[in-house]
Amino acid sequence: MTFWNHFPFLIPFFLAVRNMRARWMRTLLTCAGIVLGVAVILAISITNDSTLQSIRDVFNEASGKANLIVQSSTADGEGFDESITARIRSAEGVLTAAPSVQAMTLLTRDAQNWQMEFSINGQAAGNRLMIFGVDAQIDPGVRQYELAAGRWINDEAYEAVITQKYADDKGLTVGDDLDILTASGRERLRIVGVIADTGAGVINDGVIAFAPLTVAQDLFERGGDVDQIDVVATPDTANLPTDLADLKAKLSARLGKGYDVLYPASRGQLVTQMLSTYQSGLSFFSVVALFVGAFLIYNAFSMTVLERTRELGLLRTLGMTRFQVLGLVLAEALVLGLIGSIIGIGFGVVLARGLIWMLGAVVATSVNTLTVPFDGLLKSLFVGGLVTLGSASWPAIQAARVSPLEALRVQGRSRTRVRPAVWLSGLATLIGAWSSLYYIPWPRTISFYVGQVSIMLLLFGAVLIVPGVIGIAERVARPAARVAFGNEGLLGAGNVRRSPGRTSLTVASLIVGLSMVIANSSLATAFTHDITSWVETALGGDMYVRAPLPMREQFERQLAAVPGVGGVTKVRYFNVKVAGARSSGVSQLPSEAADQDTIFFAAIDPLTYREVGEMQFTAGQGEPDALWARLRAGNALFISTTVAERYNVKQGDTLRLVTSRGEHDFYVAAVATDFTGQGNIVTGSWADMRRWFSKTGVDRFTIKIASGHTVAEVQENIEDRYKDTRNISVETTQEFKRKILELTAQSFRLFDVLGLIGLVVAALGVINTLMMNVVERQREIGGLRSLGLTRWQTTKMVLAEAAALGGIGGVFGLAFGYVLSHVFVSALNSLSGYNLQYIFALSTFISGAFIALVVSQVAALYPAWKAAGVNVVEAIKHE
Amino acid sequence: MSVLKANQVKKQYQMGEVTVSALDSVNVLVNKGEFVAIMGPSGSGKSTLLHLLGGLDNPSDGEITLAGQPLSKLSDNAITVVRRRKVGFIFQFYNLLPTLTAEENIGLPLLIDGQSLDKHKAKIEKLLALVGLADRRHHKPDQLSGGQQQRVAIARAFVNDPEIVLADEPTGNLDSKSGTAILELLRKTCVDLKATIVMVTHDPHAASYADRVIFLKDGQIVRELKNETAGHNVQPIMDVMAGLEL
Repeated sequence: MTFWNHFPFLIPFFLAVRNMRARWMRTLLTCAGIVLGVAVILAISITNDSTLQSIRDVFNEASGKANLIVQSSTADGEGFDESITARIRSAEGVLTAAPSVQAMTLLTRDAQNWQMEFSINGQAAGNRLMIFGVDAQIDPGVRQYELAAGRWINDEAYEAVITQKYADDKGLTVGDDLDILTASGRERLRIVGVIADTGAGVINDGVIAFAPLTVAQDLFERGGDVDQIDVVATPDTANLPTDLADLKAKLSARLGKGYDVLYPASRGQLVTQMLSTYQSGLSFFSVVALFVGAFLIYNAFSMTVLERTRELGLLRTLGMTRFQVLGLVLAEALVLGLIGSIIGIGFGVVLARGLIWMLGAVVATSVNTLTVPFDGLLKSLFVGGLVTLGSASWPAIQAARVSPLEALRVQGRSRTRVRPAVWLSGLATLIGAWSSLYYIPWPRTISFYVGQVSIMLLLFGAVLIVPGVIGIAERVARPAARVAFGNEGLLGAGNVRRSPGRTSLTVASLIVGLSMVIANSSLATAFTHDITSWVETALGGDMYVRAPLPMREQFERQLAAVPGVGGVTKVRYFNVKVAGARSSGVSQLPSEAADQDTIFFAAIDPLTYREVGEMQFTAGQGEPDALWARLRAGNALFISTTVAERYNVKQGDTLRLVTSRGEHDFYVAAVATDFTGQGNIVTGSWADMRRWFSKTGVDRFTIKIASGHTVAEVQENIEDRYKDTRNISVETTQEFKRKILELTAQSFRLFDVLGLIGLVVAALGVINTLMMNVVERQREIGGLRSLGLTRWQTTKMVLAEAAALGGIGGVFGLAFGYVLSHVFVSALNSLSGYNLQYIFALSTFISGAFIALVVSQVAALYPAWKAAGVNVVEAIKHE
Repeated sequence: MSVLKANQVKKQYQMGEVTVSALDSVNVLVNKGEFVAIMGPSGSGKSTLLHLLGGLDNPSDGEITLAGQPLSKLSDNAITVVRRRKVGFIFQFYNLLPTLTAEENIGLPLLIDGQSLDKHKAKIEKLLALVGLADRRHHKPDQLSGGQQQRVAIARAFVNDPEIVLADEPTGNLDSKSGTAILELLRKTCVDLKATIVMVTHDPHAASYADRVIFLKDGQIVRELKNETAGHNVQPIMDVMAGLEL
């Protein structure tokens, strides 16, 4: 104690550490709850930040030192005349301007077995080889190229530099030929160098080859067009944000309306936008895991205070004030919170690696950077400490209320009565949260955050209600416990009612954990059902024909002539910018739009499309024939429910798009379900595409099999005729559906992981509660053993108590999970504009019930073993 | 006929590096229908002896024979079952289950034995009447006084028709009036149910209800006293205790 004599203000911490050591098991369990909660919060923060950073890095590395980027304002990939490069270079404040062109292709040898791969953002990065045509003299001054072997390219020469990663994957080296597909057939580029997988080498996930600009233009028939010009400002201009902004404005004015001058950071907006809903969901789930951890902490501290009632009474007798007692308990909470948070941070970084890998699979991008945000670290430390202190505050107040007389009493009773006000307020909270979710029209800018808070309040309300129903629930559980565990089941189940406060929190944590798992599973089911229906209806057809390069339109006739083909339709996808929306005469863009929003445009042939599929129009828009007729008439679009939600437009409104001929209003002919590009898509006619976007070439032909023929037969017919000559890939709808469903399952797997962590924390709560019960009832257990209860019967009694907890938590968890499922589906519909329907899947609920029972039984193993091992003599002497 | 026999029983505990002898070569014989009290000053080993007699603990040496069965030859499980079926326990702090009613607490040993209480309704009725709590059968422990709780505990001890009942300071937590009532009840069961009772107590008044008093000091039996006179003669017991405590 000598050390503490010098620092008396630290004595509460000294006592706290002593107490934690004496009750090391409980300290460990409580700490584990904090560790998991903090770890999850940090892991998600790291995962989200790292993924976004990785995506931004790709775009940043693509831009290198460029301070500004010039692109066509249509964003449709058509490029612009490179002659404007000179106009850019002559502007004051511009150091250099590097033009580039990009084209997607494949190695000839890969074309045979090529299949399109998908990610949550659409086509997976690295699915095709990007040929990046650059000015060989200027570009190294803009982008970073770290040569690992060979040399850099020379202008005009048919040569290329590839990345180390691509070279290793394909077994290529300096001196080999890059044999690629082009618009006119096969071409070769001599590999003269290999660059490291850094800097420009990260573009397209490293599946990239850099070639001279003129060669790339020639190979892909781009004429004198380029896709972007990277502008490096003079150091004086670059270093001052205001000067850079001036330069941006000057260039915009100089180049005119057909060009966008952007900061590199604003690129990738479509990608990050598509991820944002997903990442917000992850963040929400992580908060719920911490919420469950808070119960564990509260329970543990409540029990500690109860156990130490005599000790606290003694301290008060010896002169400790109430405030000092409060400080004592909070000191323990602070120490525990700090230790738990620090360990949680370490564990969070480890967990993040796994989550990053999973999210990387979903976005089909190698997330190479583990960005540990400093604010994320601070937030985790702060949240961990705050949650621990917050959860321990009420037990601390109760400890401060212990009177000195407690020192003279035998061990107090453990029964913590729960006042009716608690569960009545729970009911009120539930009603309030429900009303907020379904009946109050919050402004769009805050609706997402209000929705999250409302869902948390729903969970909190459910927690508060549990004490009101636990008595009835236990009475119902008791006969079941007797059937399963015999008379020991009666004894065990009956114990559930003895500490209603503690039991309620344990049951509540099970309810929260289980209901989140069920809700996530239900959401996945709804999504899978709707996406399956969409694939089968809207995408339609029996097989898809694709190629690494856009196919000629005339190929449609050849495909139609293949024996067994009943119908063929073509589709082309490209990016398009939304300049505005007009709804009931009011022009608007969402307030969070960045200058202009970029979405996808799907160009279809309205005549042939219906031979193979049908759009899933939302209800109440009139007859499909009329809708299709309007699209055929031109200057019209079918928009997705997501686009409709985002721009607040409906049938009859207009959507203004940036076309190659300037901005143009398109009439919204109908709203339909479409999951392409996470719903950020509009569909227009082929004629409109040619008229307004000057595009040709087909991305995909959808084929319907004629009756009397099989898919395998027609697939073979097509491949025999055209696979070698046109380098096509033929994929059945079933295969495509399988890929999409696997991607959907992968997307939800991350949430499953978080939900399971919540259940683990709930299980820790069960262990903690049962251990407390065993410790508290030492004498009683000793008495029962004296009366002839064997060790195995003691084990059964504890397992029965756990089964009762698990059963009650399970039933309520399933019920609340059902409610939460509906809420989640509605919330996702509201966020994303989808029109998902809730599907009741019995298997989800059976699995949930199984999980609840298994979790409770596994959690009870250690406490049951401890109870069975109670020394009878010591126990009956125990006070 | 002897119900319980302890033959040269020793019990030693290891307290760090020191071996403490709680009992040293103790011999006890309890016959059917006897009411035996075990007395001694604090630390004399009386509770230790009771625990050994009830199979709650194992002797370091010697043999305990209960209803003709040597306990040393039995496994932990087997001893537990013997305890369940042949021994009744009464504790100082009652040890009732707070979630069960008086009636259910009495039937607890039967429940532990896997039996249904319905089948033993008549027996439980009889015991409730014996202890005078028929009108409190549906009350939980927190609705009963200390004396009433101990009476429930006594009824529980007899529900399985034990060979012997072991009582550890049964009046230790009661006021004198309640304590006397309990002792009267124990005496009554000896007569009415022909029970065999071994009671550990530090109270000479309680010991005066027994037929025989065994005195322990420093782990050894030092004296036995037969209570041949009726009317609970406390003085001789107090004299012996006074001598032991010197």
